[in-house]
Amino acid sequence: MQEKNFAFFPGCVLSQAAKESKMSLEAIAPILGLKLHEIKGWSCCGASQAQDVDPIATLVANARNIALSEAMNMPMLTTCSTCMLTLTRAKDSLDKGAKNRINEFLAKGNMKYQGSNEITSLLWVLYENLDTLKSKVIKPLSNLNVALFYGCHSIRPEKAYNKKESSTNPKSFEAVVSALGANIVPFEKRLDCCGFHASYPAEKSVKKMSSQIVGNADKNGADCLVTPCPLCQMQLDIYQERYQDAMKSKIRKPIIHLSQLVGLALGLGNKELGLDLNIIDATKLI
Amino acid sequence: MKIIIDRFDGVKKYIQAYILDINEVKGKTLLALLQHIKRTQDISLNFTSACRMAICGACGVRVNGHSYLACDTKMDDLLAEYDYPDTFRISPLANFKVLSDLVVDWEPSIENLRKVKPTITAKDEFSEKNGCTQTQEEVDTIKKQWDCILCGCCASECNKLEADSSDYMQPFVYTHAFRAAYDSRSKDSLKHLKPAINNGLWNCVHCQECADRCPKGISAADDISNLRVLAMKKGLKKGTGPAHAEAFLLDLENTGRLNEIYLALRSEGVLANTTKIDIAYNLMKAGKMNPLHIFGDDKIEGHEDLIKMIKAARAANKE
Repeated sequence: MQEKNFAFFPGCVLSQAAKESKMSLEAIAPILGLKLHEIKGWSCCGASQAQDVDPIATLVANARNIALSEAMNMPMLTTCSTCMLTLTRAKDSLDKGAKNRINEFLAKGNMKYQGSNEITSLLWVLYENLDTLKSKVIKPLSNLNVALFYGCHSIRPEKAYNKKESSTNPKSFEAVVSALGANIVPFEKRLDCCGFHASYPAEKSVKKMSSQIVGNADKNGADCLVTPCPLCQMQLDIYQERYQDAMKSKIRKPIIHLSQLVGLALGLGNKELGLDLNIIDATKLI
Repeated sequence: MKIIIDRFDGVKKYIQAYILDINEVKGKTLLALLQHIKRTQDISLNFTSACRMAICGACGVRVNGHSYLACDTKMDDLLAEYDYPDTFRISPLANFKVLSDLVVDWEPSIENLRKVKPTITAKDEFSEKNGCTQTQEEVDTIKKQWDCILCGCCASECNKLEADSSDYMQPFVYTHAFRAAYDSRSKDSLKHLKPAINNGLWNCVHCQECADRCPKGISAADDISNLRVLAMKKGLKKGTGPAHAEAFLLDLENTGRLNEIYLALRSEGVLANTTKIDIAYNLMKAGKMNPLHIFGDDKIEGHEDLIKMIKAARAANKE
């Protein structure tokens, strides 16, 4: 792959509870020819929550985020599926008529949304560059049985992503992980929701949802679950013991970020990939 | 080609396989395929259908675990969608009680619809003589939701309903609550909004399945979100859901970024958070939560401008 520059939008979770996601992304990026330039002054996207309180404020914040990346003349890249969905929806709304109105507000900070750049995710960048990815694999993960968990906002709603891939039969994640040589196990819960966004108001349901996902991966012989979404990783990793105990299950599974899995196949070590920071021990996978 | 159908005879559940030539499948709608099986192979197979033109909502079923309106779904499209498989599995809608084969019980859902009072009481300013009119913009706000045909496809795939239906309603119920609450002719939006809140409005898990499965392109998830916006505007902020959503906005305004410690405290309060000390301890031990954040974070670069932009937008929105 020719070196590609991206305006990098980490999203709040990558600087805190999923900092290993950022570490591993920054470890694999140079090997894959991805040059990440963190957007200075990026703000929280609202995480599909602030929108329910003040939609105009969050649209302005995200128009500003995109405008910041446009000023860098690079496509915008994020690894957080919820940030991806929120930013994509904001862009869609701006491009479909809100642009002029929102630009009146951005002008208060001498900024302007143009609508000039693309917003993409790590998963899609890898999917679009499978040959490069394959060529960089030095440690194929053939002994690793993985359950692939997409996370809702990686694929749904299809309309928001201009039907870039089917949400009933998506293929990008499988293609990327196949390129790493890992053994993908059947996993009926792969398109389900972990419940992250309602973990406060609907805790009882969310415990069940998360626990079923971990249990289903175990039933199908997975050594670990992998997800492109740091929020799903956080939900299934940080709360796993608590939720499994609540469901009277003794199953424990490492939950790893897509970037960590890629890093393992690229021959990087546990420390570089932050695998020692995962709550459920993920350091003995290979 | 093998078509496996989930059967239920009122007592026992079983599956039945029907073998068809691929030419019996291609060129048909999903409903025509079911009718073909009933006509040529098994008269005992039960399913519901009526209009055959996607306006009555009677023929929602699942194929390979995803819901479709049978009369509006071409088998050729399904073959392409699932990479030309040699088997399809057809099941009744999920999250409904099955009465017989692919026939499900709608009564509990209709009861939920009744709860949100989906018919409006017109404002006093309207009269028989002067009519009850709306601007085009007001019609546009709710016209998509009028397309809901109560097919149940959104409810079938709803991840929250699957986990627990005792504190949540079918997504389309919130869509109808939205349609009534946002109708400019309505005398009282609270009549629809309050029962939506009291019956799980804040429990949606944001899985977006409802948005993808609706054959009419309605997003119940968006309707839920807009009902929440209305609830916040009306000052109906009681509960963890509103507090959690508001916490994100507060952090955006205060520093521009999320503060995990404040988020937890604002969402649930100090007392409830004491039960989650183990989680916080694990995060701190792994270096993924900075206890010093309790004293606040630095503001993002350009925060002052961000606030000016937000203030300008809010002021313009009030005009």
